[in-house]
Formats: sequence, structure tokens, C-alpha cells
Amino acid sequence: MDSELLSGTFVELADTMVAEFDIIDFLHMLTDRSVALLAASAAGVVLADPRGELRVAAASSDAAGMAELFQIQNDQGPCLDCFRTGRSVTAADLADPGTPWPRFAAAATQAGFRTVEALPMRLRDQVIGALNLFRATPGAFEPADLRIAQALADVATIGLLQERSLRRSETMAEQLQAALNSRVVIEQAKGKLAERLGIDMDEAFRRLRDHARNSNRRLSDVARNFVDSTSAEFPPSPGH
Amino acid sequence: MMSVNRATVLWGLIAEHAAATGRRVAVADVCAVAVSSAQASGGWVAAASSRGPDFLLCVTDRVSEQLAELQLLLGEGPAHDVLAAAAPVLAGDLGDGEAGRRWPVFTPEARATGAMAVFAFPLMIGAIRSGVIGLYRSSPGPLSSLQLGDCLLLADTATLLLDSLDGGGIPAADGSGHGTRPGGQSPDLAVHRVEIDQATGMLTVQLGITAGEAFARLRAYAYARDRRLADVAGDIVARRLRLDPDPAQDAGP
Repeated sequence: MDSELLSGTFVELADTMVAEFDIIDFLHMLTDRSVALLAASAAGVVLADPRGELRVAAASSDAAGMAELFQIQNDQGPCLDCFRTGRSVTAADLADPGTPWPRFAAAATQAGFRTVEALPMRLRDQVIGALNLFRATPGAFEPADLRIAQALADVATIGLLQERSLRRSETMAEQLQAALNSRVVIEQAKGKLAERLGIDMDEAFRRLRDHARNSNRRLSDVARNFVDSTSAEFPPSPGH
Repeated sequence: MMSVNRATVLWGLIAEHAAATGRRVAVADVCAVAVSSAQASGGWVAAASSRGPDFLLCVTDRVSEQLAELQLLLGEGPAHDVLAAAAPVLAGDLGDGEAGRRWPVFTPEARATGAMAVFAFPLMIGAIRSGVIGLYRSSPGPLSSLQLGDCLLLADTATLLLDSLDGGGIPAADGSGHGTRPGGQSPDLAVHRVEIDQATGMLTVQLGITAGEAFARLRAYAYARDRRLADVAGDIVARRLRLDPDPAQDAGP
């Protein structure tokens, strides 16, 4: 593993947590860095919504089929097992006919993935979500890589808390909903921008995120203002 | 998927409550079911303007009315905070010191009415902000995970009721039964899909309307053609489908 990339990643994540902070931007960065650090093909952070669903908070890729891969895991898959057991779950070769998740494995291999890993995001005795990693080649992740991956999952958990303490048992529940709601408005903004400029969703996200960073504002605030504005102009002219 | 089963059960309770009063389903029914599911002492729903919670739509009892009015008057309190925070505010114990710090005027006044815990939920879908739902208890204690899940699902239902093409609040009467189920597809809507949010955004540009109007159009189209909302949204995102600016075309040929 590239140790410079590793230390650089943690410095960058820590910096983001101190500054004007957007949880979705943070989690998205974390999935991107997970892919780079762990030589993965794709990564996602999945959160357990009390409504009874595992929901994606951020993913490194918006490629067709990725959303479905996370969605299937509400019925079967490594994230569901990870959430239920509180332990990391590995599949070193999804093409193995003995897979415990036939529907998930079929969809994942069709999407080009052969290895999958789910690491728990734990808060005391509660599992609040999982870091989901995918690779195109079969073969389990190295133990050293898994330790880093678990550390990244733990950083994601800490990121959700932001500056708030855990004195109240309700804090994490509120923060989780804030993150999920934040993602909704960002997705709405992506749709509006993609339609307005004739670009794809990944590019729309990049432009929203870049504008937020350049204007030192929260990504979700930028997204909300953009969806609310009667003009579809982006970036908005000064004063908007 | 758990959320679909639970949403179906909750919707059954809402429909029962409306049937017992002889009216069509309204936010008051959602509020009543939220109170009983959360084992709360009472609750209220307020509509929102761009500035925040604005006016009361329903209350279940006098204390709820006092709590709701207090927060509207003071511009302070859990229900006041939820839209700006875009998240629920779960104040399980108004006597824990933190509530007093966060809402120094509201908290003692609220406790004087007999409320010891207040749980408030935004009625929102991203940029679409319809209002707030508030619950109170006369003794302190947090919501259980199941109660919290129910409240979130019920808040979603209330949001749908408020975001309808027929003016919001009370679903319109029509022979097809539209309005007897929120959006016509309650359990379907309990499952979140990113394409629905993206399609909503796309429609604001395609049709030149607000996000709330876009989401209502999306649901109307899916309902009129008896299709799952997520499938319609998927078609829009994949550019296989484009809605007509004329809403009358939603019903199909």
C-alpha cells in the first residue's frame, strides 16, 4: 500500500471534518479514497435507516447497476449479513456456485465484480451501517488492507457524529437522518444539473461539489439553493 | 424488505382511522397514528413556508396546540429546528439540561404545559419542504428504534399528502380512488430510490416547475399508468421517457 497515499488520506479526511463540513461530501471522499487505497473497483457507504432499509449514503461510482447492487442487499448480501452480525463479511469469489447470496452474486458478477467485502460501522453495541468494497478480480483482501478498511469504516462513523457528543442516545439517529436527507437534495440537484447541461450524473456531482468547495459552502446547501432557484443557471451568478 | 411491510401496516391504520371518522384520508389521520405508534401523549402537524413552520394543520389535544403555537410564536423549539437542520429533533427529556440550553424560552414553557419530551420530524423530500410533525409525551424517555422507524415512515406519508396536485392536505375525490391511498402507491413509496430524486430534479428543468410540483407530476404519471414510481423514475433518468408539459397527458392515450 502506498503509505504516502494512506497518511495523506487521513490528513485530508481530518481536515474536512474540521472545516465547514458536509457529511455526504465527506462520505463520498471516503469511498473514493477507499478505492484508491485498497485497490478496489468500487466502494459504498451504506446506512441502516430505522424505517427498515439499508440505504446508500455515498458511492464511488454512479455506474449503471451500482444502485441495484446496494438495493439487492436489503434482501441478501454481505452488507445485510454484516449489519446483522456486526462482523465483517467476505466473499473472495462471487462466481463460486456455493455462494450464500445467489441473486446478489449474479448481479455483482454481471456488473464485473468478483470479490466483495463489507465492514461494519459500529457505534458501541449498535451497527449503524457498513463500508462495502468491490473488486473485479477474485481473491480476498490482504489482512493489512482489511485493517485499513475497518479504520476507514470507523472514520465514517466518527464523521457522522461530527462535533456532536453522544450524551444523548438520540444523537446518532438524528445525524443519520440528516445524512440521508442531505443525499436526497444532492440527488435532486444532480438531476436538475444533468438535465440543464446535458451531462451525466457523475459529472453533475463533480460540478456541484467543486462549486461548493470553491465558494466554501456546504454541498447540501449549494444543492438545495440550486434546486430551489427559479433559474437553472449553474454556477449561479454572484448574489444568488 | 422490512420497510414495505411496516409501511403497509401503518397505512392500514391510517385508512382505518379515516374510515372511522367518515372522511377521506388527511394529515390528521397520519398524526393520530403517529401518536399511538410512538405511545405519545399528543401530536400536531404544521405546514411550512420558505421561512420555516408556518401554520397549524391539525392537533390532537390542547397541549399539542399550546406546544405548536409556542414554537411558532417564539421561533424556537424542536419543531422549529427540524427544517433548517433537515433532520428530526428528538428531545427525549426536556429536563436534561441540554434542552434548556438549546431552547431557553421554549423549554420551561413547554414543561409548564406538562410536556416532558418532544419529538419533531421534518416533512420533506430533499428540497421539497412541506411542514413538520411534532409529538410530545408527558413523561421523559427516548423513542425506541421501532417507534422511530414508524414515525419516519409516517412523516413520509404526511409529506406525500401535503405534496399533491390537488392542493395538498385533503386528497381530492375522484372515482378512481386516487387519494384513498397517499400517492396511490403507499408501500411502493416506502422504498427509497435515488432515481426518484434524480428524476424529480430533471423534471424541474424539462417542465419548468418547482421540485414539489415535479414530484407530484411524477407520482401522478405513475399512478395514472399503474406503474411503479421507481420504474417511471428509472425510465426518465435513462432518458427512455419524457413527460409532456401538459399534465392532462399523464393519463395516457
